Amino acid sequence: MKWLIIIWILLVLNAAGGTKWLCSRSTVCTPENRKLQGEKYRVARFESQRDCRLSCGKYGAVWPMPTGPGISLSHSRVHFDPQEMQFSVEAPSEAATQFLHETRRLFVANLLRECARDCTVASSARIVVLATVISGSLVLDWRTHENYKLAINSTLGNGTVVHIQATTVYGARHAFETLSNLVTGSVTRGLLLVSNVLISDRPCYPHRGLLLDTARHFMPLQHVRRTLDGMAASKMNVLHWHVVDAHSFPLEITRVPQMQLYGAYSSAQTYSRKQVVELMKYARLRGIRIIVEIDGPSHTNSGWQWGPDEGLGELSVCLQRSPWESPCASPPCGQLNPMNDNVYAVLKAIFRQVAEMGAPEETVHMGGDEVQLSCWNSSMQIQEKMLSQGYNLSEKSFLHLWAQFHRRNLLAWDEINRSEHPDIPEPKPVILWSSLLTNPDTIERHLPKERFIIQTWVDPHDSLNRKLLELGYRIIVSNANFWYLDHGFGHAKTMYHNWRTVYEADMPDISEAQLVLGGEVCLWTESVDQNTLESRIWPRAGAAAERLWANPVESTVLIERRFYRYRERLLDRGIQAEAVAPRFCVLNEKLCDDPYFVY
Amino acid sequence: MMMMDSFWRFWSFSGPLRTRQGLRYLFKMSLAVSLRRALLVLLSGAIFILTVLYWNQGGGKTQAYSEALERPHSHKDGTAFPIPVEKFWTYKCENDRCMRVSYHAGKTAKRVSFITCSMTCGYVNIWPAPTIKSLVSAQTTSFSLEIVQLEMDTPHREVRKQLQLSFDSFLKDLRQIQRLDYAASPAEMGESESSSWSSNNDMVGAATSGQRRSGGLESLLVKISVQKSGDVDFSLDNDESYQLSTMTESHRLLVEIKANSFFGARHGLSTLQQLIWFDDEDHMLHTYVNSKVKDAPKFRYRGLMLDTSRHFFSLEAIKRTIMGMGLAKLNRFHWHLTDAQSFPYISRNYPELAEHGAYSESETYTEQDVREVADFARIHGVQVIPEIDAPAHAGNGWDWGPKRGMGELAVCINQQPWSFYCGEPPCGQLNPKNNHTYLILQRLYEELLLATGPTDLFHLGGDEVNLDCWAQYFNDTDLRGLWCDFMLQAMARLKMANNGVSPKYLAVWSSALTNTKCLPNSQFTVQVWGGSTWQENYDLLDNGYNVIFSHVDAWYLDCGFGSWRSTGEAACSPYRTWQNVYKHRPWERMRLDKKRRKQVLGGEACLWTEQVDENQLDNRLWPRAGALGERLWSDPSDDHDLDIMAPEVFRRISLFRTRLVELGIKAEALFPKYCAQNPGECI
Repeated sequence: MKWLIIIWILLVLNAAGGTKWLCSRSTVCTPENRKLQGEKYRVARFESQRDCRLSCGKYGAVWPMPTGPGISLSHSRVHFDPQEMQFSVEAPSEAATQFLHETRRLFVANLLRECARDCTVASSARIVVLATVISGSLVLDWRTHENYKLAINSTLGNGTVVHIQATTVYGARHAFETLSNLVTGSVTRGLLLVSNVLISDRPCYPHRGLLLDTARHFMPLQHVRRTLDGMAASKMNVLHWHVVDAHSFPLEITRVPQMQLYGAYSSAQTYSRKQVVELMKYARLRGIRIIVEIDGPSHTNSGWQWGPDEGLGELSVCLQRSPWESPCASPPCGQLNPMNDNVYAVLKAIFRQVAEMGAPEETVHMGGDEVQLSCWNSSMQIQEKMLSQGYNLSEKSFLHLWAQFHRRNLLAWDEINRSEHPDIPEPKPVILWSSLLTNPDTIERHLPKERFIIQTWVDPHDSLNRKLLELGYRIIVSNANFWYLDHGFGHAKTMYHNWRTVYEADMPDISEAQLVLGGEVCLWTESVDQNTLESRIWPRAGAAAERLWANPVESTVLIERRFYRYRERLLDRGIQAEAVAPRFCVLNEKLCDDPYFVY
Repeated sequence: MMMMDSFWRFWSFSGPLRTRQGLRYLFKMSLAVSLRRALLVLLSGAIFILTVLYWNQGGGKTQAYSEALERPHSHKDGTAFPIPVEKFWTYKCENDRCMRVSYHAGKTAKRVSFITCSMTCGYVNIWPAPTIKSLVSAQTTSFSLEIVQLEMDTPHREVRKQLQLSFDSFLKDLRQIQRLDYAASPAEMGESESSSWSSNNDMVGAATSGQRRSGGLESLLVKISVQKSGDVDFSLDNDESYQLSTMTESHRLLVEIKANSFFGARHGLSTLQQLIWFDDEDHMLHTYVNSKVKDAPKFRYRGLMLDTSRHFFSLEAIKRTIMGMGLAKLNRFHWHLTDAQSFPYISRNYPELAEHGAYSESETYTEQDVREVADFARIHGVQVIPEIDAPAHAGNGWDWGPKRGMGELAVCINQQPWSFYCGEPPCGQLNPKNNHTYLILQRLYEELLLATGPTDLFHLGGDEVNLDCWAQYFNDTDLRGLWCDFMLQAMARLKMANNGVSPKYLAVWSSALTNTKCLPNSQFTVQVWGGSTWQENYDLLDNGYNVIFSHVDAWYLDCGFGSWRSTGEAACSPYRTWQNVYKHRPWERMRLDKKRRKQVLGGEACLWTEQVDENQLDNRLWPRAGALGERLWSDPSDDHDLDIMAPEVFRRISLFRTRLVELGIKAEALFPKYCAQNPGECI
């Protein structure tokens, strides 16, 4: 039976004419008439390079690579029209069923972008997609199961059946994403699908994130949405939205409109509450949580200036201090006033809105990086209050004050969540950046490990990660030397990390692996605005996506052709990913490889 | 209500709250004794169900409803500010910089927008800075585009024709700036808008944004006078100087631009464009009541090179680049048309080159395309200098000789192991002993010269020949001599292609060959791409060559993105910042005497495109190429240390970058927007 299909497909492909492509044992796709010396080619013939790539190599064109166990891709294809595909979804709840219908809609839209010319096929193969989900829940957090199984069976009599099985809808959407990686446009019309497939897959880490800073430069929503599209294509699941900073406060806080009024660059450069809620919905449908970061006590200036005018006292101190070098890490200066109760009231209103905008299970990132104790120490008012409350003015004292600041906000967060979501009994942990406060020697004094997750931005081999893990803290890894995507453009003499470097960043190698929630690539936007956003993020974030999904041992040499294909897929989906190699080298596989590299 | 599941509940932040309320009401209803209360509950339930239905259709109204439910009435809808955020700020000029201060609507003083403050505070905001004189009045006036008129005073027909085209382009840019009404634009600024601008570009007439208002002027007449030269062909002898003056008398503004050639006059128009800005407070174009500019470039050759072989770039992208060059007063677009990777140019005489060498049918340029680019460039004061690199950096596209009975046109094409036979894969080098190769080159030169117009400068390539490649085929003991002969033969072919006249300046890349004296210094100009401290810099000048500097350590815009190959070092990291580009003054550092300084024709920034395609083109080039523009046009003296930049330069380049973005060029951001809005605070 299988042979018949293959013969039929070969006949169809031959009828299409043109040069055929071959796949070698070392996973190189080459035109038949330009075979490379020393390569051993398989018998299967393909109509194009992309067709060849679909099944050349263990992982074909699937990015990020499935983790198995068991993956098989046939070299035969089914020729079909995406509009003729039939779907049947099965889920225990109406909500999950709805979700899967939306997933299907997005999937078909992505398939249509694969069509080289015309998507219609006169005699399309019959393809039925059966998706089954076990859980009816739509909760998406670090405990959500994102595993799935994908099986494609093609027989001459029954056409093609695609079976998708997943625990949750999020696993199912990843399966659809993988399925789209098994499809490419035919050189004539319509699409080609790998006809027999078996893939089982689950991510290594539950937190696969991208940080986007929309304070240094405002990013229009349409660009944020395209970023989410890219993340969905890469099976990333957390957008860490660094929405506000000292530079601007674009977010509407309905209870405290002053924040946006004083803090936004302009009225056009704002996010309304409604827009954020819609954006979160948009993200969820793509399997992505949005974790909002309200950075503090440092990195606060714009939006916090109005305290004295409205009788609330100084909310933020050290504002617009020049020269800025002394009291803050980067201009403009500003640090929240920890001795002013009104600061906590405003923060609580902000956190309340964050809780209201997000899903019930969602948490918040409270920032906490780069606090300059000297700023607080330079304020007479803070000094006086501290002394009156029994503090002295030692570093230890200021650290205590700083920790107190976070714990007080945590209490507010808990209270908000108790009233908003009484059906979620467990208090939710919040995230903080690594800092002086998270020094492993003293962290336990300041931040309880059950309640604070630490996002570290040190080198992976820095002892901080190991020590925090040994103490039992959960961590998210964002090391600045591999995963800061803004590096290399003249700021503080940093170096650009190309996709290979991003890919090769090691995750902490430690027995307490389950304490490593995952990692995030970060895009700080000092010198990035909407014009450069996409090319800074993509395709490099995708390299991190595979690290976090599969934590592979392969070197970048072996995966480069699959990565090039991934980048082209991003382009097809309208994302302006950066070029990573001359086009010649993408089209002529192996010709640009290092001749002395031993595989 | 109970059917509402967690999923849909999530979509509304107040969903859970509503459900709970519903529960409470239901609970109460079961205990209800009062009919009135039951009715109320039913009513509220009905409203709720209706709402849910409405909202499941994706309606936005529910949101407002649910927000109203849980928020006290005093909270205003954030999308409707009492006043737009930007109106909350005004700017005042203090110590030559604009300070942002809060503004209260009740005040008598008029709100000053950022751009108007910037244009009237401190240094005159022209990029590149005029070299002889620039003065503007403190007083400004506003106008709308339809009162702008042109009067030309020139005896030369060709000049007249070109000036009209340049003026049309000037008006088109102003129209575009006017259309970018930031205050009125919705939150979603982005591509949709930018594409709508371009589709509207050929609209005649003026202001399309909002109602027409006349402003402070009744007429604005631009009078351009070019008497001396009738030349519209590029040469290094073009006189690019100009004088510009504006004066206002009883609501009539007269702009006078005087130049000795079309090229000077065009630069004058480009400067005029930078004396005009669009104010978002009154939505009018503004300019100075009086101004005086006297200007001439310090260097004659101010170039930008783009490689269209490693990646293909569309005509649109190339034109956009040239538009930016015109604004930065760069005047030479060096088009590295072909290389070993691909041959995108469809030759009329030898279409086989592109057939075999282009990435795809669509990734090609026809002769007509090249002409179109050259004509477009001329309008912007930019010459197109095509380069067919030879004898090295040529491979794909040259493999069909034997089939046509012409022998091997090139050797080592895609040869492995490549690291033996070339510096970067794929390999390929023209066959120096095949007469057909030279004939093809001659025909290519002919076609390209015809398309780009008469010139006194042509680029022959000539770099990075790998002698080991040729050694496999030829027994010559002096392979370098073979290379030299190739260049001399290419020169002879160029002369034939150029109607028997050899262009005065024949540019070649610096190489091992230019370190010998085999190429006559009277004819060859060397584009130096090595390090700025290398000995070859001095040697070339001592040997009498004219030079164009393109030092890799300052003016290679592709550097800093790591190695694109799986192994090997990154070729030229780190990234050259705009400050690096700007600060580079090799002629100063080398302490050149007058004679040698004269041999420096100018400089050129290079963009090799191994890791750049159309999507990143703009942000790789801009605003850094603009920094080069000022270095070569004005060559301002600079006593600061390497990392320090005069605050005034920051402010001007920040505005220049804004102008590029306004024209649809996706220039990279210089610093956080906060720093652009608060000049001086971040420096």
